[in-house]
Amino acid sequence: MVDQPAVDASGLYVSYGSTPVLVDVALRVPIGAGVCVTGENGIGKSTLLRCLSSLQRPDQGKIRIFGRSPGSTPEFWRQVATTVEPPTWYPGLTVREHTELVCRAHGQDPDEAGVDAALEGFGLAGHADAIPPSLSSGQKQRLTLALTLLRPSSLLILDEPEQRLDHQGRATVAAMLSQYVADGGTLLMASHDDVFAEASGAEITTMESLAAPAGTGS
Amino acid sequence: MTIQPTDFGTLRRWVRRTQSDHRERGATAGNIYFAVLFIAVVGGMLHRQLAVIFWPVHPNASELAGSALVLAGVGGLFLALRRLGPLGLSRPAASWFLTAPVSRRRLLVPSLRLAAAGAGLAGALYGVAVVGHVADRPMPAAEGALLPVVGALLGIVILLAAVAAQSGPAWGGWADNLAYLLLAAGLTGFVVDSVIDAPRATASWPTTAVAATTAALALVVIVLLAIAVTRLAGTPNDRILEAAKTAGTLLDSAFGVEPSFVTEMVERRYWANRRLRSVRLWRRLPVLTAQDLLLVRRRPRRLLWIAGAVALPTLLAHAPAWVLAAAVLLGGMLAGGVSTGNVRTDAGNPVMLRLLGLDSRSAITQRLWVPTLLAGLWYAAALALLDALGDLPAGPWWALGIALAPVGSVAAIRKARAGFVRNELLPLDTPMGTLSPGPLVNSVVGPDALLLGLPALVEIAQGHPLSWTTVLVQAVVSVIGARAYVSGTTATDRVELAAIP
Repeated sequence: MVDQPAVDASGLYVSYGSTPVLVDVALRVPIGAGVCVTGENGIGKSTLLRCLSSLQRPDQGKIRIFGRSPGSTPEFWRQVATTVEPPTWYPGLTVREHTELVCRAHGQDPDEAGVDAALEGFGLAGHADAIPPSLSSGQKQRLTLALTLLRPSSLLILDEPEQRLDHQGRATVAAMLSQYVADGGTLLMASHDDVFAEASGAEITTMESLAAPAGTGS
Repeated sequence: MTIQPTDFGTLRRWVRRTQSDHRERGATAGNIYFAVLFIAVVGGMLHRQLAVIFWPVHPNASELAGSALVLAGVGGLFLALRRLGPLGLSRPAASWFLTAPVSRRRLLVPSLRLAAAGAGLAGALYGVAVVGHVADRPMPAAEGALLPVVGALLGIVILLAAVAAQSGPAWGGWADNLAYLLLAAGLTGFVVDSVIDAPRATASWPTTAVAATTAALALVVIVLLAIAVTRLAGTPNDRILEAAKTAGTLLDSAFGVEPSFVTEMVERRYWANRRLRSVRLWRRLPVLTAQDLLLVRRRPRRLLWIAGAVALPTLLAHAPAWVLAAAVLLGGMLAGGVSTGNVRTDAGNPVMLRLLGLDSRSAITQRLWVPTLLAGLWYAAALALLDALGDLPAGPWWALGIALAPVGSVAAIRKARAGFVRNELLPLDTPMGTLSPGPLVNSVVGPDALLLGLPALVEIAQGHPLSWTTVLVQAVVSVIGARAYVSGTTATDRVELAAIP
């Protein structure tokens, strides 16, 4: 279906105890578009992304990802790649081997998928033989992004991908995300950095606007 | 600006007084009362079993077994002390005192004192057990009193060697390897002792020799202790912090009844100290199988231990046959567990599985191959060795080992998927007090799958010659059981591995 959006959520309610976090939130992201949700800390950006990634069940509301309910099926996770949750790394597997594992699980040849170029681009080439737990938090963040971008996907859901990246790192990641959208992928992310979001080719929308009755993300 | 060191003794007294003020009146006395009562009750209940372990009615081990016990004890105690630190601090003390201007020596002396008491006690108890099992009776009273003292002194010498190694000298790694060798030599001694008819100790050792050994060891302990105390301040901070984390994790594990905390810590430290070079995963194999093989390739020492453990069932050759059979089945599960660290990671947190986009059935099927190979090889070797030594009746036991391969691998994978202990389960009221079933349930998940090896267990227990029909029955049960496990606990439309399948 041509009109079917990548993300279509409406009437989302989530509360933690007596504290409402999402109140009647709606978001629609067309296929091939980029949307960046901004807002102050604690306003519910991560909660929204977790609900859309099927990692959290909303109290109320309807969510459709490519026309289907998000779930734990392999089909869903082959379409959707996310950094909403930090990974637990495999024991005794180096940075490079993690990237190769992800590529091969998706039927890609690691060389053709550009593992070396990705590690170079994310500033991890010098750490290819390290085990991920020994990396700094910024390097782990870059490795997670590299793994997410290396594998094929139709929708990227990223939670503050610019965090713990230096200036050069932000520019590199923004260029990669922009290319991802240009190649037909759909991008949904939360960020505090408007410059980074614009450089990523994402349209900026605020959490407040999503909560309005007519609030849409695109 | 010069900062004067604070008197650590005063500081510690202040901390203890303040902590004591926050406790209820008589809480400490109550704790001591309950600890003493617990020891008295357990000691009263288990005194017969303790006597069998420490001082049997008649000595029942050969001199070779005694030597093996000593070698294994020395190696094992050194390795245990090295893993624990041995010098450490509590986590609060490591956070607040290690960075404070206090005398490092005075800070660490209590830890050394505690470690020396522990090592001395362990050495003395071990010494009593060795003497009780090996030494000829009747024994002169003086000798009977001195031999545990020799054990205690030897325990303290081993502790002081471990303390010296904690400072990070170049020989630390070699000392660890030597301890591993001693442990392996001790275990080999047991196996040889069970195979040959080694002679018993016929005469007690001369009292003068025992007294001289005790005096010499006491002198060594005094000299080494003096050296250790003068060098205490040189113990590197990172080693003390590491020991503090170890002690904290062990306490967390004990109070939370959650052994996985310790497993994770050991695993994390192992990999943190390894220097790896990236290699390509084998292209012809399924990707997760290739990853498991790589993990096994990177644990050569564990493989070596598993290979050596093939001989351990021979120690049970004279035990009831069903005990031998159960031990063999359990051994295959442990062998298959060498590569299950990846399954444990996926069961604990499925983020990587989601990133890989593989369904749980494909993932578990791919992950079963390497444990099947390891368990099959182990079972075949262990049963073939028992057969060769005449501990089993005639038959193609190696083939039964291969038929058992899926049993060991399913048990190993099931154990790895067990996840955290479920402490939310309703506690059971028993005549012995309230019992939390969580740890019990958790310890059973995994070994319960060994029931698939029932045909082999019955065959070994009955002691009849093994026929190819039994091998075939076991093979069919193993394969059907493994297939049922995979299809019953995984799905093609689900990525996550359920915590308890």
